[in-house]
Amino acid sequence: MIIVENLSFSYTKSPFISGMSFSVPEGEIFGFLGPSGAGKSTLQKILIGMLRTYQGSCLVNGIECKNRTKNFYENIGVDFEFSTMYEKLTARENLQFFSSLYEKKPRPIDELLETVGLEQDADKRVADYSKGMKSRLSFIKALLHDPTLLCLDEPTSGLDPANSRIMKHMILEERAKGKTILLTTHNMQDAAELCDRVAFIVNGKICALDSPHNLIMSKGAATVTYTWVENGEHRASCPLEQISSDERLKNLIAKNRLQSIHSSEPTLNDIFMDVTGRTLL
Amino acid sequence: MKAIRLSFFQMAAAMRRDMMLFVSCFSPILAGFFFRFAIPLIESALTDSFHIAAIISPYYKLVDILFAMLSSTMFCFVSAMISLEERDEKTAVYLFITPLRKTGYIVARFGVPSAIAFLATIILLPVFKLTPLSPLTILLLATGGTLQGMIVALLVLTVSSNKLEGMAVTKLSTLTIFGAVIPFFITSDIQYVISPLPSFWIGKAILENMPLYMLPAFVLSAMWICFLFKRYLRKI
Repeated sequence: MIIVENLSFSYTKSPFISGMSFSVPEGEIFGFLGPSGAGKSTLQKILIGMLRTYQGSCLVNGIECKNRTKNFYENIGVDFEFSTMYEKLTARENLQFFSSLYEKKPRPIDELLETVGLEQDADKRVADYSKGMKSRLSFIKALLHDPTLLCLDEPTSGLDPANSRIMKHMILEERAKGKTILLTTHNMQDAAELCDRVAFIVNGKICALDSPHNLIMSKGAATVTYTWVENGEHRASCPLEQISSDERLKNLIAKNRLQSIHSSEPTLNDIFMDVTGRTLL
Repeated sequence: MKAIRLSFFQMAAAMRRDMMLFVSCFSPILAGFFFRFAIPLIESALTDSFHIAAIISPYYKLVDILFAMLSSTMFCFVSAMISLEERDEKTAVYLFITPLRKTGYIVARFGVPSAIAFLATIILLPVFKLTPLSPLTILLLATGGTLQGMIVALLVLTVSSNKLEGMAVTKLSTLTIFGAVIPFFITSDIQYVISPLPSFWIGKAILENMPLYMLPAFVLSAMWICFLFKRYLRKI
């Protein structure tokens, strides 16, 4: 589906993306994680054929991105972080116009509007929509022509928890249909929840690439932190995998003297900090 | 072709929704009526009042030139305004990643409106002209006017970053069509200070009845368009 080999790109004389290689098979949700200015959006622009002055190879659906033809876009759906709607048109008019540009038969507009809870507002001007409504509308716009590759940029940004859940559910449904999904996000929770694999991008390079589970496991097991009172409050930690050999903890449990105990699993953000020395949060 | 056609229709619909742009498209016809019927009446009234043989009539050729450029410029202005709105709303960016692509977008927003501007000038100029113009002259004027319209549109799109700025820049960039006025009023060599403007050569070609002067007008227009178009492509 996507094969990137030794990709380099530069806006100026100094390289912005350098020596990037990865591949994304069909039916996978692949996440790009990184701080602002890391090169995520540039990479996405290259993959959707907007930037064509790159070196190396970048194949999407078997087509070199710099040589894309109009058919290239029949199978790509993009949901930008910002709204890309005609503000003076209604949601329905927007969807009708954008779907008409494709040769493919569009998915039923009313059905899509209903899925994201916009059926009642279908004939309202987009200018009167809230940010969250625009996000949902942009998302279904990317699905209109039933593309095989979806590029989603911060798809849950600005959404309330209920709509964020609906959106994530729809993304997983699209993957179940065999679609490949590229997800660009700052939201580690979304990435951990949705992505089959993630790539940490910093300074135009991939610092780590694996499944969220493998990346988290690579840091080691969770730690257990407990507190007790003995001439004041005390706190101690031990790795979860060594809990049985912590004599003090065993003693405190035996004497029912624990004041609190909790485990803390490493998050994707911890891994990101470990690998890149930076944080996204 | 389907995407280009639909995108152009989308632009036409946007134009219909915006009263200012809608009126702008028909302003060449209103101006044509004024030029063709009101100016001779004013001339007649002035010559009668001042007992002079001719006051405005020596400049009728200039009126025809300005009309040829006005009609093209107005069509190109409308498409530039809609493109600016699409840039503001970021719909243009989205259109680039549909089967329309950047090339199709440019054709729909510049190619088709320029062709319509050319045809409109070919049709309107014989109706509203004040001087006898040969079919060849009409053709040359329509071509020169269309190229001038493209220059104005590209100037607006290159210099301004939103619709409001676009309105201001349009007023300034429309001044470039007034290069045609110079040969009519300045006969000394100082007139060539304005020679980088294609409109100057269009004015000179019609005033001196020298169609060959249209050649520098076309070459200069092509240079202006190439220069501005490159800047525009970098901007979008």
